[in-house]
Amino acid sequence: MKRGYILKRLLRSVISIVIIMLVVFTLVYTLVPRDNIFFEDATYRKLGGKPDDKTDYVYNTWMKLGYLDFVKINDYCLERYEAGSSEMQNAIQPDSKETAEFIEHYESLGYTVQRYTVSNRVYAYKDRPLFQRMWNWFSNLIQIDHVNRVQDPNNPDLERKIYFGRTPTGGLALIGSGTIHKYLIYTDSHFPFIHQNIITLNMGESYPTYQGLEALSVMFSSQGTEVKRDVTFETGETGSSAINFGSLTYKENLDRMDRKKFVDHYANYTTFKDQTSMVGTSFIMGIFALLLAYGIGLPFGVAMARNKDGLIDKFGMLYIIFITSVPSLAYIYIFRYLGTTWFGLPNVFTTFGPSDLRSWILPIISLALPSISSLMLWIRRYVVDQMNSDYVKFAKAKGLSRKEIFSRHIFKNASIPIVHGIPSSLAGCITGAIITEAIYSVGGMGKMLPNAINQYNNVMIVALTFLFSTISVLSVLLGDIILTKVDPRISLTEKAGRS
Amino acid sequence: MMERPMEDNLDNLFEFAEFDEKESEHIAAPRYSYWKSVWRTFVRSKVTIPLTIFVIALVLFALIQPMYSGYSPTVAPNINNSDMKYLSPSREHIFGTDNIGNEVWDVVWAGARNSIIVSFVSTTIIMVVGILVGALWGFSKKMDKWMIEVYNVVSNVPYLLLAMILSYVLGAGLGSLIFVMVCIDWIFVAYFIRTQVMIIRDREYNMASKCLGTKTFTMIVKNILPYLVSVIVTYISREIPLLISYEVFLSYLGLGLGTNYASLGRTISQYKSFMTGYPHLFWIPVLVLAAIAISLYVVGQKLADATDPRTHR
Repeated sequence: MKRGYILKRLLRSVISIVIIMLVVFTLVYTLVPRDNIFFEDATYRKLGGKPDDKTDYVYNTWMKLGYLDFVKINDYCLERYEAGSSEMQNAIQPDSKETAEFIEHYESLGYTVQRYTVSNRVYAYKDRPLFQRMWNWFSNLIQIDHVNRVQDPNNPDLERKIYFGRTPTGGLALIGSGTIHKYLIYTDSHFPFIHQNIITLNMGESYPTYQGLEALSVMFSSQGTEVKRDVTFETGETGSSAINFGSLTYKENLDRMDRKKFVDHYANYTTFKDQTSMVGTSFIMGIFALLLAYGIGLPFGVAMARNKDGLIDKFGMLYIIFITSVPSLAYIYIFRYLGTTWFGLPNVFTTFGPSDLRSWILPIISLALPSISSLMLWIRRYVVDQMNSDYVKFAKAKGLSRKEIFSRHIFKNASIPIVHGIPSSLAGCITGAIITEAIYSVGGMGKMLPNAINQYNNVMIVALTFLFSTISVLSVLLGDIILTKVDPRISLTEKAGRS
Repeated sequence: MMERPMEDNLDNLFEFAEFDEKESEHIAAPRYSYWKSVWRTFVRSKVTIPLTIFVIALVLFALIQPMYSGYSPTVAPNINNSDMKYLSPSREHIFGTDNIGNEVWDVVWAGARNSIIVSFVSTTIIMVVGILVGALWGFSKKMDKWMIEVYNVVSNVPYLLLAMILSYVLGAGLGSLIFVMVCIDWIFVAYFIRTQVMIIRDREYNMASKCLGTKTFTMIVKNILPYLVSVIVTYISREIPLLISYEVFLSYLGLGLGTNYASLGRTISQYKSFMTGYPHLFWIPVLVLAAIAISLYVVGQKLADATDPRTHR
């Protein structure tokens, strides 16, 4: 019964996520003019004087982003003639017989055929339907690495095997050859110490900002300047480098430097940088804000309930009214002003950077302010309700001390609904605090979505929506499950236990 | 036998009253008028009257002042007049002037006007749609089955995310911003009303009403909605500052009202660089925003308290 319920809820959560994605795909890919994505693209601007190259670039970009399928006469002729041959040169001319065939062939497939403005050669494109695009996105989402992943015609002798070994830094590793990643599972001195590359999520390549980076690695890889250290490469070569050996992936064309450092084709890597990733920064900030909120909000809320209509209660209510009515933008600036003038704390995160503790104090306090207010309000409400209940009167009549009643009965019962909200608050840590991070210029997740939207980075918008909605959907489910664990009286199946 | 004469005497003192059907139906109870009691409770607290006058004056001023000031964010008449820039608040320039020589007084009220229009209009639409749908939803079990699934999906969506994406897609403007807010918020109001309706739907007086053949619509409008007045007013008093907050938030990030519209959020975001050099430029919009939101909220709360029949004496 219980297990069946959770399965049903999981299924419903998956459906929720799919529907959200459908909505976002429809909104982003059909309602936003597709020309908008070039507003922030420097390459596009440089191509202003060359209309043909510009057309080429525009359609190739659209194809890469999944808007349409694009073919030009050159690609069509390459299948028949050798590149650079004289037949090829004749075939791509605007009045050749191949051009006529091209037009006929692609028009029959439903493509729109057009000509470049200067050279008058032909190209064809066809829009991809929305559902197909979404299907592609989901089917490419989970990537599993295996020994036959790399198919490189220039390297037919590539070994295909998996074996145990060590990384150049001495960590244990499961090493693959023929796989995309060299180190499938490995250990090193970086959190969380054991890493895997077998199953990876692919949410597309970011465009037009963070070009060439995967959407996920934009969020999860470290930022700042590279941390160089002395390393010994696989060939025995030593040097100063920030290389992360665990990130080695297959590279088709090796250059001289690569051959000097690596014994095989695995030569693409990322580097270690000195600042935590965007997700990491938001998470650290969020966790501490959460601890602060629970540390202050809970005792204060209980104190308010115990002195109902007293001074503490009135003061607390004043704070709650202030926070709930005043827009967060206004009160964060007000608190920041107080913090900087009274305590001399930096007013932006970047003044001292993430390595200095002082940078973190004001953002964390600002982030905690609204949570403190809502926690205070709810815990006060719950405790007041419990104080008026019959079992408390009974306990009082039986002669239990006030302290005993509070700690052993009231607080236990009142904290149950509070526990319910913990997973959602934790999830909120990852999704970031948009306003707080914008005001303090913190390099976290909060600024990602507004930036992606302002820069027309559709790939990033879709990736962020997926990430955020998955996290929030699952955390609501987790909250419900925890609720039943904490309070066995609550059954999710009989009565919908949703708040 | 002895008592008889006495009885005769008494009979002489009384006379038979005529039977009046109308009068017999009348229940002698002190006259109670709901709205009069609401008014009496509302004015009982000494703070509310001045505060209410303040709020009404503030809102009216914000709505009317921009019509006469002629301020528009698209034109900057004093942009080349360096004598008009960065003036401190004085008698002629009440809130001073900004970096392009605009009167901050005009800028702030134009922004406040848009914030107030957006939040009031969207609150009205959201409440009307939400209450109607919610009342039907609470009443119809068939509808509940479907709507609860819709709600489960929609409530999972991080709403700010949706607000941001929608305003990105629809473009900037008063109408589209209002549409975005309605799109996101109506279902929460509907769900809230549905729960309230379900609580009172099965009370005895409604059962009786149903047995007597009252139509569902009449029951919703006559039996249930009056019961919900105070709950709805409470909701509205939270909704208006919340939507002002949304507008400011979205405009601050450059997603709400476009550059053709004055907005407190964008004004704050533009003026934040003058925080150290010309603090009045930055603090005036922030404090005006806080004052508007907090006074609207407090008056709304007082009104909500007054509409609750349990506070009537």
